[in-house]
Amino acid sequence: MPARKPTTTERASAARAPSPSASSIAKLQRWIDLLAALLSRRFPAPLAELVRDVPAYRASPSDDALARMFERDKEELRAFGVPIETVQLDEETSGYLLRARDFYLPILTLPGVVKAASRARDRSGYRSLEHLTFEPDELEAVAHAGARVRALGDPLLTADADSALRKLAFDLPVDSARHESEERVLADGRGVDARAFALLGGALLRRKRVCFDYHAMSTDATTRREVEPYGLVFLGAHWYLVGRDVASGERRNFRVSRMRAIEENRARPRTPDFEPPAAFDLAEHARSRQAWELGDDDAREVIVEFRASTGAARAAAGLGEPVRGAPSRRRFRVRRPDTFARWLLSLAGDAVPVEPPEMVQRWRAIARATLAVYEPGDRAREGA
Amino acid sequence: MTADAAMQLRRLLHIIPRLADGEAHPIEQVARMARTDVDTVLRDLYSLAQRFGDPGGFVPGLEITIEGARVTLRSGHFARPMRLTSAELCALELGLAMLARECAPEERGAIERARARLGAALAMLPPSERAGGGAGGRHAELGAEGDAALLAAIRGALRARRKVRLDYRSASAAEPATRTICPYGLVAARGAWYVVAHCEERDAIRIFRLDRIERAVPLAERFEIPPSFSLESVVRNGAVFSADEPGTLRVRYSANVARWIAEREGVPLDADGSLTVEHPLADLRWAVRHVLQYGPDAEVLEPESVRREVRSKLLELLEE
Repeated sequence: MPARKPTTTERASAARAPSPSASSIAKLQRWIDLLAALLSRRFPAPLAELVRDVPAYRASPSDDALARMFERDKEELRAFGVPIETVQLDEETSGYLLRARDFYLPILTLPGVVKAASRARDRSGYRSLEHLTFEPDELEAVAHAGARVRALGDPLLTADADSALRKLAFDLPVDSARHESEERVLADGRGVDARAFALLGGALLRRKRVCFDYHAMSTDATTRREVEPYGLVFLGAHWYLVGRDVASGERRNFRVSRMRAIEENRARPRTPDFEPPAAFDLAEHARSRQAWELGDDDAREVIVEFRASTGAARAAAGLGEPVRGAPSRRRFRVRRPDTFARWLLSLAGDAVPVEPPEMVQRWRAIARATLAVYEPGDRAREGA
Repeated sequence: MTADAAMQLRRLLHIIPRLADGEAHPIEQVARMARTDVDTVLRDLYSLAQRFGDPGGFVPGLEITIEGARVTLRSGHFARPMRLTSAELCALELGLAMLARECAPEERGAIERARARLGAALAMLPPSERAGGGAGGRHAELGAEGDAALLAAIRGALRARRKVRLDYRSASAAEPATRTICPYGLVAARGAWYVVAHCEERDAIRIFRLDRIERAVPLAERFEIPPSFSLESVVRNGAVFSADEPGTLRVRYSANVARWIAEREGVPLDADGSLTVEHPLADLRWAVRHVLQYGPDAEVLEPESVRREVRSKLLELLEE
């Protein structure tokens, strides 16, 4: 397509936004120019040819500077998602190609409206694009998925989901607003800086170590941690970074809202610092676990007698395993006996431990200590 | 710097195809479409147009005219959006994976097909540029969905505005009760799903925890959600709560557990490291279960009726 001089005019009286930095504008202009130059060609073009359509390249002070600038732009556009191919034209010359069908969104349609959509696109010269037909229930699922992701409160994820939905909405009636008004996910975003997601997301992608100050609730102490990030997990209402704590060598979850002063390892930025274990499965790691299942202690079996069929008791029984020949009993594997005993106490007698004796004693000891709080005279002593 | 330019490029590749028809578009409308503000749209467009220091500079095949509060744009190369990027696909895949865990088996087909369809719209990058680890190294678990078929039935009734008959066993009820509800919304909070509904038996808004619903039968009878209703009205401090005239439960948490409560409630600790919190109180039995989970580290200060009930329950347990 021939290049045309723009007829840009500035008679706007509207308030002008603060200008981005000159170098940021220059980069954006180079990217747009380079994309246009590539998209106007059907065959691979060497840099010497592309230079003619990218004014900033023509103004480059030397061939070396030009080559560096082009390489950086090409890599940044690839990182952005633009599938620029490198093709060897001869022994010394590389050519660059951006196929229209690899770059442009396919023409999206719903069943029955294929012709109308394709007519409009044909006029614009996008004939080579494939058609992709979404069934209404698929589109509904996509809109619902977008709404669900937005609810999680990670600004990067939200931006990506929004961007995807806007692309689809170019051709299709995508409506995620209805889902947002009918379904709500309460994500606790307190104390989470949007930059934390950007930093952790970037380190995750590049597999770089991160350092941060972390407030551990169990010890009520803040220490500097170095972690190899394996993934970000949303559990219940909070985001956690899953990774290997370098000092201890152990896999740990770190609540993102408890992190401060996050830094990515800047050494050798293009080289990954680590590889996650091949067998690591983020979804399996994130599987919901009860507080008494966590920790490094050996798991012990505890048998619990369920004496009521209340909603709370039934839900609790569902967390254990059946005991053969004892339908009212369930087996639990417990790593934190105190935590388990308190959880049983919260069932207010609907469930009581029966084995082993140590657990029964521990449960009774906690119940006695709790009763002591409510003994007459106790409040007066505390002045409550 | 690169991140700023990338964000601008992303916005422009959304905006330009929408505007590239040679017609004049109100900038405010463009900003709404791009989910940004007018200043940002203008700044992005001016970024492309400002080439005053380079007389030979222009964007081939891109014409931008800004007149008053309207923008006109013609483009040969940017009249269609770009394919989905890996990050965009990962974000939607994460949402689809969450839905797949919640949905009934018969709904999974649409989710799988949607996933494949989105995959076909992905920009084909060299393998080294593709994001690894499933949904971009992210995973989300919202909480106990209970029976997926129940959730699907209630979600379907909510969309169709049909009443539902429930068998519901509350936390402290030994037998399920039958309720007829008008589902107004679904909320995932602190690891569980809740149905927010108008309950005909109570003639009031009530909240039903999904994993305590034993049966849900959609009825033919329809309802309307009152315009004055908002899900926000039942959300309090990251949890869902509804009561006609809630009382107040005042609890003092010892320094052993107070920091967890303070973080959850978003309040500072008292000087001695403990914390006293006032919770809305609708159900005495809930209050007893709530404080017992902390053992001796939580003490009910008020009301006296809950103190008596806690003591009585503990005496009963220890006498057995």
